[in-house]
Amino acid sequence: MANLFSAIGMDETRTFRGSWFSHRINLRVMALIILCIAILILLMLYAITLGAVPLTIRQVWDATWGEGDSRTLLVVRTLRWPRIGAAVVIGAALALSGMLFQGIARNPLVSPDIIGIDAGATVVAVSWIILTRDTSGLPLVTFLGAIVTAMVIYLLSWRKGASPNRMILVGIGISSMAGAVTSFMLVKYPLEQIRPAVVWTMGSIYGSTWRDVVIPGAVILVTLPFAILLMQPLRAMSLGDNVTKSLGIPLESTRLAVIIIGCALASVAVAFAGPIGFIALMVPHMARMIAGPQSGGVLVLTGLLGGIMLLVSDTVALHFLPVSLPVGVVTSAVGAPYFLYLLYRSNSSM
Amino acid sequence: MSYLSAKDLAVAYDDRLIVEGMNLEIEEGTVTTIIGPNGCGKSTLLKSLSRILNPRSGTVLLNGQDIHSMSTSAVARNMGMLSQQAENPDRITVEELVARGRYPHQRFLQPLSKKDHEAVEKALQLADMVSLRDNAVDELSGGQRQRAWIAMLLAQETPLMLLDEPTTYLDVAHEIEVMQLVTRLNQEEGRTIVMVLHDINQAASVSDRLIAMRDGRVIADGTPEQVVTMEVLSSLYGIHCDVYMHGHGPDVMLPRTRFCMPRSNSQCGSCLFAPASPGFQVSELKTGYGDHVISQDLTVQIPGGLVTAIIGPNACGKSTLLKTIGRLQKRGAGQILLDNSEVSKVSHRKLAQKLALLGQGSLIPDRLTVEDLVTAGCYPRQTILQRWSREDERMVEWALEKCNLLELRDMPVEMLSGGQRQRAWFAMSIVQDTPTLLLDEPTTFLDISAQIDLLDIVWQLNRDHGKTIVMVLHDLNLAARYADYIIAMKDGEVVAQGLPTKVIVPEVMLAVYGIHSSILTDENTGMPLMIPSRR
Repeated sequence: MANLFSAIGMDETRTFRGSWFSHRINLRVMALIILCIAILILLMLYAITLGAVPLTIRQVWDATWGEGDSRTLLVVRTLRWPRIGAAVVIGAALALSGMLFQGIARNPLVSPDIIGIDAGATVVAVSWIILTRDTSGLPLVTFLGAIVTAMVIYLLSWRKGASPNRMILVGIGISSMAGAVTSFMLVKYPLEQIRPAVVWTMGSIYGSTWRDVVIPGAVILVTLPFAILLMQPLRAMSLGDNVTKSLGIPLESTRLAVIIIGCALASVAVAFAGPIGFIALMVPHMARMIAGPQSGGVLVLTGLLGGIMLLVSDTVALHFLPVSLPVGVVTSAVGAPYFLYLLYRSNSSM
Repeated sequence: MSYLSAKDLAVAYDDRLIVEGMNLEIEEGTVTTIIGPNGCGKSTLLKSLSRILNPRSGTVLLNGQDIHSMSTSAVARNMGMLSQQAENPDRITVEELVARGRYPHQRFLQPLSKKDHEAVEKALQLADMVSLRDNAVDELSGGQRQRAWIAMLLAQETPLMLLDEPTTYLDVAHEIEVMQLVTRLNQEEGRTIVMVLHDINQAASVSDRLIAMRDGRVIADGTPEQVVTMEVLSSLYGIHCDVYMHGHGPDVMLPRTRFCMPRSNSQCGSCLFAPASPGFQVSELKTGYGDHVISQDLTVQIPGGLVTAIIGPNACGKSTLLKTIGRLQKRGAGQILLDNSEVSKVSHRKLAQKLALLGQGSLIPDRLTVEDLVTAGCYPRQTILQRWSREDERMVEWALEKCNLLELRDMPVEMLSGGQRQRAWFAMSIVQDTPTLLLDEPTTFLDISAQIDLLDIVWQLNRDHGKTIVMVLHDLNLAARYADYIIAMKDGEVVAQGLPTKVIVPEVMLAVYGIHSSILTDENTGMPLMIPSRR
């Protein structure tokens, strides 16, 4: 892309100025965002055509706007769209929270699932499923579990200010503690009681309803503008604490704001889909690799890529494998090798 | 036959040749110093002589034997190398670090022998680290740490020692100590020493032979008298230098600034009585980290509209004072007024519009370009709507040009050399365009011509733009030349303050650094020039 712009003699950035505003837009990032939106829409329409009742893109398009027979309408508008929509919003929420956590920790190997937020939510969800055998209140309970875990991690890593490295170590500790409790619950109770819990821990958007699209979507809509505004101080923060302070950025309050937004996004994702691994870790890397260092535009791109990734994984999990699998299995199967590849690369460049 | 020699040596990183066609003969029992500008290949040459780097072609012979045919421990018993910026292992004490120097002498799985213990003891004494032997290396100050590494090298007890900038981070007194140590090791123990130094005057004072390098090649080689001449130095650094001769000791070289700035004392004196702005008024300040108090009850005035230099030995609290008045570090007690308003009552953003601080060492994120870094300096005046005003663009272009970074603007900062990086950070601070600029050792990692370039910009910022400059400097002669006002500190207290001619005097030098010195006058500026006496 960079070559494309220089090849046609265009500057990569363009400045827009008026009497009361001035802004510099990175055209490459903008082009990538538009491209990703187009790919995402096409993928969604294509994914809806797949399934036990094969449809054409034309039928999907019409049914989306309310035209067609009642069976197609039911399949498209009540069964398939919510699932597709949930995949996109949850993927986006995961990727956005990963980007925020990696920025705050100044560490590219951090994500909410690695620092224990998912594990904390899992303990709560598994206990809730096993003990109450009721799944209706699950998203709310899981959300609370994730938020409480994040608070515990933040407080334990506070020592005259929250240190990013300490936060990662504390998070990993909390994560393995929570993992142990989860294992204990799964071993202690009889098989028929733990079965739904085991399925939940694999992470799945199976049987999503419009509620699963609207609530995460609303959280993204509310948090995204703040997250975009926070990207600029976050960029300065990547230069170290002293530089951040001498640039006049209130370090602790900015850090806290980023953590709150990151937790809200991660928590809503885990609440509605269970722990889905690796999206939050790898999508921000992909975004930075193709679009450059963190900025508001790259953040939006990260969200779009997250949506695309989870949608593709879910479609593969559902339609292209001999057996249908929960989507979390596919993202882990693809994500883990990618993670190792990243480690290998960062090692060799040192 | 020479002791250490290089034949047709060429060293490259990837495709870039750093050193080429190098032929070198080092005689046994001599002190040889390699000098040259940043990036000339001095350190690379030293690394390939010590087998840390493999040459692309050519050979290195030690006692007539190719070092690549010798075993690692045989090489380590014969030569020791002090590298630049070694990593500091966590939680190991000075004594443990020094004992690691005995590794090449130890047999497999054997504990330290009596002889090893003696060597460690002697090394600790020579490097003056006995009192710090049980301290953790990562808690030492920069200067102490450097001495701990030197002690480890001494414990290795090698006849040949290679030192890559052994005086980095050291103050004048410790610099002299290390230089005396080098002389003693050479004269009393007959060790052969090859080192890289930035400071030409130090190099001239201890070396038998100087080798001047530029662009990977030797351009002058000989005794200090032959090499430290105006012609050699100006072709080496591309800058005019004055060479001062004085009665006792070797000649002293001083680079000439791009601005000739003769100043009379009365001119500066009147500025002090009627400063352009009140500047900093610090009273009863207590600074330090946690329980560790550095300054207790510090009261000092830093005049506005002038260039002030803070000098003093390592760990005297100069950087801490700078960070505390810049509000990077919390104070224990006391008052800090900037232009009559208390610093702590101002919001972070407002403060960043009033003062910029260039600190020591910072993180470099991946893929961040020089231009991105410099642009970060615009942050304090940007709002949600005003993100890239004409003013921002103009300031960034101006700073890139001033700091000679235009060609490097799209380079990732992580790829730059130490000196280039330092210039990029400095550019970021001046983009902040604040009336006050605090600089903590801005000339670290810079060669003499880059030091002069940077300080010339500082001078212009003050004289043409009326900015207040407060900087911590190690080099006293540069401080005397560029500062209107000097504050000398020791053990967290102000020992002397005033015009350079009042502070750079033998009595103050003795009180602050514990060194004897003679003071000349720099003919170009009328400012004092301190030359440490060697005893």
